[in-house]
Amino acid sequence: MSAKILQRLLVAVLVAVMLVWLIVPFAMAILWSMVDPSTAWTYPDLLPPKLSFERWWIMWQTTSLPTAILNSYSLAPIAALLTALLAAPTAFAFGRLDFPGKGLAQILILVPLVMPGFVVAIFFASILLQMGFFARYPAILFGHVILYLPYAVRILSVSFGQVRTDVVNAARDLGASPWQVFRVAYLPVLRPGIFAAFLVVFILSLEEFALAFVVGSPDFTTIPTILYSYLGYNFIRPNAAVVALILVVPNVLLMLGLERLLQSANPASVSGKG
Amino acid sequence: METKGTFVAYLAATDIGMRFDTFEALKGVSFTAERGEFITLLGPSGCGKTTLLNIVAGFLKPTRGALTLDGADLLPIPPERRDSAMCFQSYALFPHLSVRDNIAFGPRQKGLTATEVAKRVNDLLAQMALDAHAGKLPNALSGGQQQRVALARALAVGPGLVLFDEPLSNLDAKLRDQVRTEIRALQRRVGFTALYVTHDQAEALALSDRILLLNNGVIEQEGAPRDIYFKPRTRFVADFIGAANLHAGIAEAGALATPFGPLTGAGVATGAVTICWRPEMARLGPAGVNSLAGIVSSSAFQGAYTDVFVDAAGQTVRLQLPGAAHFAPGEALSFHVPPSAITTVADTAS
Ligand SMILES: Nc1ncnc2c1ncn2[C@@H]1O[C@H](COP(=O)(O)OP(=O)(O)O)[C@@H](O)[C@H]1O
Ligand SMILES: [Mg+2]
Repeated sequence: MSAKILQRLLVAVLVAVMLVWLIVPFAMAILWSMVDPSTAWTYPDLLPPKLSFERWWIMWQTTSLPTAILNSYSLAPIAALLTALLAAPTAFAFGRLDFPGKGLAQILILVPLVMPGFVVAIFFASILLQMGFFARYPAILFGHVILYLPYAVRILSVSFGQVRTDVVNAARDLGASPWQVFRVAYLPVLRPGIFAAFLVVFILSLEEFALAFVVGSPDFTTIPTILYSYLGYNFIRPNAAVVALILVVPNVLLMLGLERLLQSANPASVSGKG
Repeated sequence: METKGTFVAYLAATDIGMRFDTFEALKGVSFTAERGEFITLLGPSGCGKTTLLNIVAGFLKPTRGALTLDGADLLPIPPERRDSAMCFQSYALFPHLSVRDNIAFGPRQKGLTATEVAKRVNDLLAQMALDAHAGKLPNALSGGQQQRVALARALAVGPGLVLFDEPLSNLDAKLRDQVRTEIRALQRRVGFTALYVTHDQAEALALSDRILLLNNGVIEQEGAPRDIYFKPRTRFVADFIGAANLHAGIAEAGALATPFGPLTGAGVATGAVTICWRPEMARLGPAGVNSLAGIVSSSAFQGAYTDVFVDAAGQTVRLQLPGAAHFAPGEALSFHVPPSAITTVADTAS
């Protein structure tokens, strides 16, 4: 009995947390983005006095938002794809091979993650310049790939570790070519990891501010650099809300999509019963 | 078996050694198998059976030794091009493929046409009584059914050599007997050569044309099931295969001096020996030779026989007596062992 009550309580707490952390900020962002420029939303109004999409239209017309969207939403998938591809060999070694110093290497590869973003960005930008990366799009792309490799390596190592040696051997034993071995023994197990790595890098790249700002300023914009420009000196909350939603909504949709992908029957990662 | 001239066995392993870092898992194993023969590698857990099977399959390269199949050197050939198929202890089925696609996997790699593949798969599904499960994923099957899928998948490529790694160890007793019989019948019918690994002596005795008894990375004895059972060469073999009474003795001119007094046996050794006889060879009551007497210390009714432990001359002796007679602890018992049932074994392999 008490277990049931406890379970209800947990669910209630979870719903409350979701409400506070997700739905409230989301609702607030939507409301703020729809505040009509003609009438301000001030205390003590509970809701904006007049709602419209005017802000969205103004932002679209008068700022570099369209270019920023194009930049961000092309950088993110390319960076994610490249990162996943480049991480694969290292992840294979970590997940499937034994070599001296493996434990140390696995820790070392995670060390960059503890560095504050701006510290990395400032000095990474100078390295990029010294390497002759003057074109800012490829420089930021390169930077994102390097910055997020550790995440992808970590995620994919786990996936590679889940590939069963006996299944690989079985495929070879039955005469499979290397490609067929990959298809039948590796891919089904790796697939969720590949999606996860792709998505994590996609979202991180999309939200990355420091490097994009340091390398891109003053005129190369991404969605976060535009967003930050509304937060400092000329703080306009409704405009920031518009940009924030453009940044967040696709991420949330992607997250839900990933959730579905990971849930969809993946017998390869489910252990057999007897 | 071997004839004069250039006779070469179908499968021949010569002085195979395998070392993992400092640990020697195989210490020079040699054996042969004729075409169509059913060979069992029997030994306790950790003695190197799987290692040897993996070497034959090509998943491991031995650190020394030679391996030939049909006269051709097997070692440079990768597993995908060897004419052998493994039935894995863990099944190693492709979890995201249906039963049908699992079985069809091998034939498809060989480039057979769709109709040929379908025919082969359907035949095997019928033989293994898996028709009703063809569309299911492996996870939806019981252990016995998965076992049969693993077997069908290996046989589907029509291999000359089938490697079985403890294929029955995950099945319950009844199913084990059933699948064991199926495997042997199938092997006779299809005619493939079988290299069968098990740690279960009953399985080995029931299935094999020949048993290789592996211990600590060496073959301690090789022979037909009856020879291994009745003429074990070492204490280990006698003990590992079935139950055995093992006692120290001195052999001289056909007579054995033992803790029980003089016995007559079939052993040929002289000097200090270990005498060995099987519990079921004891007969109740005294006889002209090899009569012994003792006190029952415990007995257990086993259905087909009764397991009786007797204290005789300070030694514990095990008897397996047919029938339902009851033996109470403390009861005096006299029995004899026919001379033909007593052999001598070496204490260690050498
Ligand atoms: N890859 C390996 N590395 C180190 N030791 C191994 C490896 N594979 C097997 N061994 C060791 O070799 C011995 C034989 O193993 P195995 O062939 O699996 O035994 P069995 O199949 O007879 O139970 C065991 O002691 C095992 O620990
Ligand atoms: Mg084994």
